[in-house]
Amino acid sequence: MAEGPIPLRVSNKKAYVWDVDDVAKLRSRHGICGMLTGTLPHLSQQNVFLGVPLLLMPEEAVFLVEKGLACLVDDKNAHHDPGLSRLAKWDNSRLKAIERQLALAEEEQEAKEHQYSTMTEQAIRKRNERERKKAFVASFPNDSSSSSTEPAGNVLAHDSDNTASDTRRGQDSSGTSKAGTAGATFTVHVGAPSSQLDWYQQSSHSFTTLASAREAGIWDYPSTPEERARCAVFRELRGKGYYLGIGTKFGGDYLVYPGDPLRYHSHFVASVIASPRTPLRPMEIVAHGRLGTGTKKSHLLCEWNEDNDVVTSFSIEWARFG
Amino acid sequence: MSTVTNMQTHPSYPELTRYLSKYPSSAGALFQTFNDITFAQKWTNVELVDLPNCQRAGIKGLRPSSDDGELPSTCIVLPCSLAESISTSYFSAAFTSLGESAPKQIYLAICAEDSSTVYYKIGKGIVKPSI
Repeated sequence: MAEGPIPLRVSNKKAYVWDVDDVAKLRSRHGICGMLTGTLPHLSQQNVFLGVPLLLMPEEAVFLVEKGLACLVDDKNAHHDPGLSRLAKWDNSRLKAIERQLALAEEEQEAKEHQYSTMTEQAIRKRNERERKKAFVASFPNDSSSSSTEPAGNVLAHDSDNTASDTRRGQDSSGTSKAGTAGATFTVHVGAPSSQLDWYQQSSHSFTTLASAREAGIWDYPSTPEERARCAVFRELRGKGYYLGIGTKFGGDYLVYPGDPLRYHSHFVASVIASPRTPLRPMEIVAHGRLGTGTKKSHLLCEWNEDNDVVTSFSIEWARFG
Repeated sequence: MSTVTNMQTHPSYPELTRYLSKYPSSAGALFQTFNDITFAQKWTNVELVDLPNCQRAGIKGLRPSSDDGELPSTCIVLPCSLAESISTSYFSAAFTSLGESAPKQIYLAICAEDSSTVYYKIGKGIVKPSI
């Protein structure tokens, strides 16, 4: 099972994962959860499961690349110009897909008509009566019910399943239908990952080291002592088997989970301390400690010592006396 | 009869003298914490520990058993003032000074000017919350 590194598609210095299989691999094999961010702009709720792309924290991307588990792809430049022949091929398959859908819809319609032609006389009579009533009601100008668009003599049932497509069938004179696809609906599928496109060439735009990505100008994390400390702390905690999430909701840098966040609550909120001598105000200890007590979590101060690359964690808890 | 009281006439003073003059910037916090630990929290076997790497003295003693039924244990308290700046190197130094038999936690006593003292447990390593 010799697989290559997982491609992280870098856009505007952020690492995204667009392939669902890779999202699953990152979580199940490497304990990297990231954050799903795919949604419609006006539906961006946090308590709904969103879709791809998965957005990684910069520390997550750095961790994966340093371990050789992932590579950084210059997403923008990996999209080559398709050229005329590829574009024609793509357009052709798009039109074929539409034709197939329309043909299928027609088949279904015929099947339904056949089905109704075997109905009892009584049922047919009842149906026609219903249609007449609806047509009568629809003849008033400001009536906007869907049956107004039904062509005369259509014996299709108006059950709720068909309403949506029937609305457009035999479209009225609003003039929105195109020639050749008069009144029928079809779905346009836009695939999420660009990796399925013929002209997406990631192999010539992949970087397996942070240094090479930095040189190419697509990645620059970490570049400050604080960012380096974050990477070190992330590496240390992930190495110990903890799963890390973003900690802003709890006043820290990371939420630390003993296992997959879908299964466990976090016991800790971690803050990164850039060096053993970085000034710390006692009031921060009070704030972190009290917040922890209120949320049944402990606060961790994770100090990085650049000299010996050692991360030392201190947990803060209210002493319950004094 | 003079009713003037000052630090020098306080019963705790003789014990603390040495450290109050060695580390003047933490003198207030040390004095306040020492009294609180000894008289209010009622720790026993209280003694002072020189912690040069923290630029102050720490207070070592036997903490009485708590409500959760924890046995009395030897602990060290690091006093500091709300107004000052400390760093995680102080915690490391305090743990190191306790040697091999060090408990897993030390206490940080944060002193305010109105004499409120709050205590926070600082554990070395990833110590799960004790609920």
